[in-house]
Amino acid sequence: MSDIEYYRPHDLDEAVTFLARNGATTRILAGGTDLMIDRRAGTLNTDCLCDVSRLVELKRIEIIDDRLEIGAGVTMNEIVHSETIARFAPALKIAASQFAGNQIRNVATLGGNVAHCSPCGDTVPPLLIHDATAMVRSRSDERAVSLADMAGGPYHCTLGPSELITRFVLKPMTAEMTLTDFQKIGRRRALAISRLSMAVMARQEKDRSIAFIRFALGACTPTPHHFEAVESTLLGKIPTETLLWDVGGKLARQMRVITGRRPSAVYKEPAIAGLFVRILYPLVASSGKPVAP
Amino acid sequence: MTNHYKQVGHSIPKIGITERLTGAPVFSADINLRNPLILRVLRSRRHHARIRSIDTTAARTIDGVVAIFTAKDIPGKNAHGIINKDQPLLMGDKVRSLSDPVALVAAKTDTAARKALDRIKVDYDDLPAVFTPEDAMAPDAPAIHDKGNILFTRKIKRGDPETAFKACAVVVEKTYRTTRIEHAFLEPDAGAGYVDDDGTLVIFASTQNPHYDHQAVVSILGLEKDRVRIIQTATGGGFGSKLDLNVQGFIGLALYHLKQPVRMIYSREESFLATAKRHPLTMTLKTGADKQGRLIATRATIICDTGAYASYGIPVASRSAVHATGPYEIEHVDIESHCVYTNNPFSGAMRGFGTPQMAIAHESQMDLIAAQLDIDPLEIRKINALSVGSVTSTGQKLTASVGIGECLDRLGPYYEQARNEWLKEGDIPYRKKGIGIGGMWYGIGNTGTKNPSTAKIKLTPDGRLTLYTGAADIGQGSSTVLAQIAAEVLGITAESLHLVVADTQRTTSAGATSASRQTYISGNAVHIAATACASALIAEAAALLDLPASALVLSDGNVIEAAGSTRRVDFARLASRLLEKKKPLEWHGVFDPDTTALDPETGQGVPYATYAYAAQLVLLSVDTLTGEVFVEKVFAAHDVGKAIHPENVIGQICGGVVMGLGFALMEEYTPEETDSLKDYHVPTCADLPDIVPIIVEAPEPTGPFGAKGVGEPALIPTAPAVINALAHALGKRIYQLPASLEKVLAVSIETGHYGPKEA
Repeated sequence: MSDIEYYRPHDLDEAVTFLARNGATTRILAGGTDLMIDRRAGTLNTDCLCDVSRLVELKRIEIIDDRLEIGAGVTMNEIVHSETIARFAPALKIAASQFAGNQIRNVATLGGNVAHCSPCGDTVPPLLIHDATAMVRSRSDERAVSLADMAGGPYHCTLGPSELITRFVLKPMTAEMTLTDFQKIGRRRALAISRLSMAVMARQEKDRSIAFIRFALGACTPTPHHFEAVESTLLGKIPTETLLWDVGGKLARQMRVITGRRPSAVYKEPAIAGLFVRILYPLVASSGKPVAP
Repeated sequence: MTNHYKQVGHSIPKIGITERLTGAPVFSADINLRNPLILRVLRSRRHHARIRSIDTTAARTIDGVVAIFTAKDIPGKNAHGIINKDQPLLMGDKVRSLSDPVALVAAKTDTAARKALDRIKVDYDDLPAVFTPEDAMAPDAPAIHDKGNILFTRKIKRGDPETAFKACAVVVEKTYRTTRIEHAFLEPDAGAGYVDDDGTLVIFASTQNPHYDHQAVVSILGLEKDRVRIIQTATGGGFGSKLDLNVQGFIGLALYHLKQPVRMIYSREESFLATAKRHPLTMTLKTGADKQGRLIATRATIICDTGAYASYGIPVASRSAVHATGPYEIEHVDIESHCVYTNNPFSGAMRGFGTPQMAIAHESQMDLIAAQLDIDPLEIRKINALSVGSVTSTGQKLTASVGIGECLDRLGPYYEQARNEWLKEGDIPYRKKGIGIGGMWYGIGNTGTKNPSTAKIKLTPDGRLTLYTGAADIGQGSSTVLAQIAAEVLGITAESLHLVVADTQRTTSAGATSASRQTYISGNAVHIAATACASALIAEAAALLDLPASALVLSDGNVIEAAGSTRRVDFARLASRLLEKKKPLEWHGVFDPDTTALDPETGQGVPYATYAYAAQLVLLSVDTLTGEVFVEKVFAAHDVGKAIHPENVIGQICGGVVMGLGFALMEEYTPEETDSLKDYHVPTCADLPDIVPIIVEAPEPTGPFGAKGVGEPALIPTAPAVINALAHALGKRIYQLPASLEKVLAVSIETGHYGPKEA
C-alpha cells in the first residue's frame, strides 16, 4: 500500500529516545486496531511506525500505595483477566470485556484507546470514575495529564510528538462501594462503536442516601467531560426513580448544550436519560438491591 | 420416523468438508497463475451523467500499466443482464449510478493499476438524477434508460375485491417499507483467467451461475461458444449477488486482448459499491376479513426500486406479487407490482427475491386484522392457511405438499408455553417482552418461466460412477445433496461417487443456484439421469443373470437379487458388457418444472410446480429506555418436503434466521456511508438467539424423494416475526425496516413505556 518504516524499540528508554528524534514523522503503534483501519483507508500519513506493543514497562498492573497503576500497553483481555482490576476497577473490567470482539481485545491496548481520542472510546468513562490521569514520558521528562486535557477534540491528541503514555494512575475502588458498573449501547452486541456509554461508582448509606458518587458519560461529547452537576445533585439524596429521571433529563440537556443540536440527538437525548435511569436503578429502594450493612 | 434410505435423509459428511476445513480448496483470489496482470476498474462515482470523453493518455504512461480498455474495445455486444441486457460492461455514452464501470486497467502490479485509475480523465456532463421510484415514475422524470423508467409491472387479478371489501367485517390498509440490503457474503467477488494452449479463454470465478456467465462472456466478446470456459472456484457465499456478471466480463475482455494470465479481486468496499443490493420495496396492502377472521380480499400495490439496472428486478416484482397473499387463501385479489429504475445502486437477486419484503407486509396485516377481531395471531393464521385443494391468487390449485398448517401446529406448544410461562417470568424494570409469529410460502424455481436443469451420470469401464452437474455449490451444500440423490438411486455411497461440478467445458447447465431450486430441479435432473443409469445396469444384469429386471436392485456397486440370494454382478462387469455392445456409458437427465406463464393482465397461471412453507415464532424483549432489542428465542418450523440432508437443512434454517434478524433490526445500506463491514452491521455471534429448528416433511410427489427446498424460506419468516413481536411488546407497530434503536425508542416514547413509572 505504501512504504512505511517500522521500528520496534527493546525498552522504554529506546522508545522515547527514538521519539525524541523522529516523533514528528512517527506514529506510535500499540495494538494497531485503529491505526490499521486508517492505513487501509489511506489516511495514515506517516513515515514511520514505532511499535511499543512488546515493551514490558507498559504492561504492569499493580497497586502502589493507594494508587492503582495500569500500564498503557495492557490489552483489553489482560484487563479482563486481571484479578487486581476486577477488585479495584471493576467497571473498567466490564468495559474491556465488552470491547469490540475477542480478536481485537487480544491486541487493543488501554493506552491506544485513550490516545486515539475517539469520543466513543469505551475505556474513558470507567477511567474517569477513578479520577485517572495518564503518566506521559518523553526522553527528558515525565508528566501527569488528565484525560480531559489529553483530548483536544475528536481524534485529536494533545500530547507532543516525542511523548508516550506509559501508564494510568487510578484511585482504586474501596470495599465500601455499593454500586459500580459500565453499560453501553451499540447497534449490535459486539463489534459496534458505542452510540452511548456510561460508567458509575457509588456508595450508599444504610438509609440509601448517596454518600459518594462518580459518574461518566461516553460517546456523547467531543472530548471527555465531567458532569459535576450530576454527582452534586445526587450526593446526600435518597434516590427515587423520579429523581433519576429528573437528573437523567438534565444530563441529556447538558449534552445538547455541549454538542449543539445534531441529528443524532433525536435518539441520544432520550437514550441518555434512559440509560442513566437503567444504570443507576439499583440505587433505588424498589430495585430490591440491598445496600451495604 | 424410520428412514429406509441409505443415503437420503442422512447427514453424511458434507462433500469436500475435510478439504474446506483444512484450507485446501482454492478460491479465485488464490489461484496460482504465472505473473498474472492485475485488473482494476474505474467507477463513475456519479449518479447520472453523459460521458463526453475518456482520456487515458496519462494513465498509460505509468510504469507497469499494460493496457486500458474502454467501451470501444468491446468486440461483441456491450451489454449484460440475466433477463434484460441493459447493463454495459463498460459505459460508453453515459453513467447511471455511482458504481458504473468506465474503464478497465490491466497492470503488472496493484499499485500501478490503482495509480492508473487516478490518472484516467473522464469528462462528464451531469444529468438530473432520481433517487425514489415515485420521482422516477413522474411524467417529467429524467429517463434513465431509453425505454423509460418503469421496467415492468406484474398484475394479478382474481375475483372482485372492491365489492368483497364492502362485505368485510374488518379492512386494514397500511404501507410498509424496506431498505436496501447488502449480501455481505464472506468472500468478496474475485476471479482469474488465462488463455489455454488451444486459444480457449479459461475464466475462474466465484459465481452462482457459471453457465450464464459463459453465455454472457461469449456474447460480450463475440466469440464461438467453445472459445470460453467458465470454472466455478470454491465460493464463499453468494446469497444472490453472484448471479450477476461481476468480475467475469472484465477478465474475459482482458484475456481477449492481452492473452496473458489476469486476476481481479474486489476489495470489500468495491464489493459493497459495485454489486447488487436487495430491492427496497414500498408495499401498500388493503386486506379484508370476515367476522370469523377468514381473509376475503386483498389489494396490493408494490413498488420495487431496481436502481440503475434491471438485474433480477423483474423476478423480484413478479415474485413479490405472487407471494403478496402470504401462505393464505384469499378469494379476491388485485395486486400490482411495479419495478422502477432510479439512479440508485442497482438492485438484484437476494435470498428470497422480494418475498422477505412482502412477508413483512402480509404478516403485519395478519396481526392487525387479528387484533381488530380479537382473534389469537396463531389462530388467524391457522384459519387461513393454504391446504391441499386451496386455490392461490394466480388460480393454481394446490394438489399436494402444503405444509403450512403443520408448521403452525408444530409451533403451537412453544407458543402456548411462551404465552403462559415465558411472558410472565423474570420481570425486569423497563423491559417489555413480546411474542411474534411470521408465516411464509415460497415457490420453488423461477416464476412462470422455463428453468430447466440437466445432469449426466457416467460409468467408467472399471465400474466407477461420475455425476456431472452444472449446479454451483456456493457453500449451501448442493453437491452433497445431489450426490446423495444419485447415490441412493445407484446403490452406492455418496462419498464413492465422483463429482464434476460447474465447469462449462465439462458440465451442462443446471441453471442458477437461486430460487431455492437446486434440490428440487437439479435434484430431479440428477434423479432422472441416475434412474436411467440404474435401469440400464439392471437390464444388462437381468440378461446376464437370467432373472427378471424386477427381481434386481443396486447395492454397493453391484446389481443383486432383491430376494437376498448371493447372485450378483458388479458394475465393472456390466460396464464392459455395455461397451462390447457399443452402448454409451452415460445417461442424461433433464427436468423442467411443470409451470405456465402468468397471464400479463390477470396474472393467472401456474408460476411454480411446488412451494415450500414455514412459520417462525420469535420471543424477544425490548429495553424501553434505550430501544435495544434482545431476541431470545426463535422457533423455526419449515416444510421442506423431505430433508435430504437434515443437518444441512438445519444449517440453512439457522443461517436464515440470523440473516432475517439483521434485515429486521439493523441492516441498511447507504451508498458512501455504510461502505464496508465496519459501518454496515450484520448480526454477530453475540447477537444470536437460541434457535430451535423444526423440520416438517410434507412430501412433494414430483420432488426427488419428496424434497422441495429451504435456502430462501429459512430467512423469510424471521423479520416479520420480529416486527410482530415488537408490536406485541410495545403496543405499536413499526412499518419501516430496520427496527433500529432510533425507531424502537421512538415507539417506546410514543406508547408511554419510556418515562417515570412512579406516581
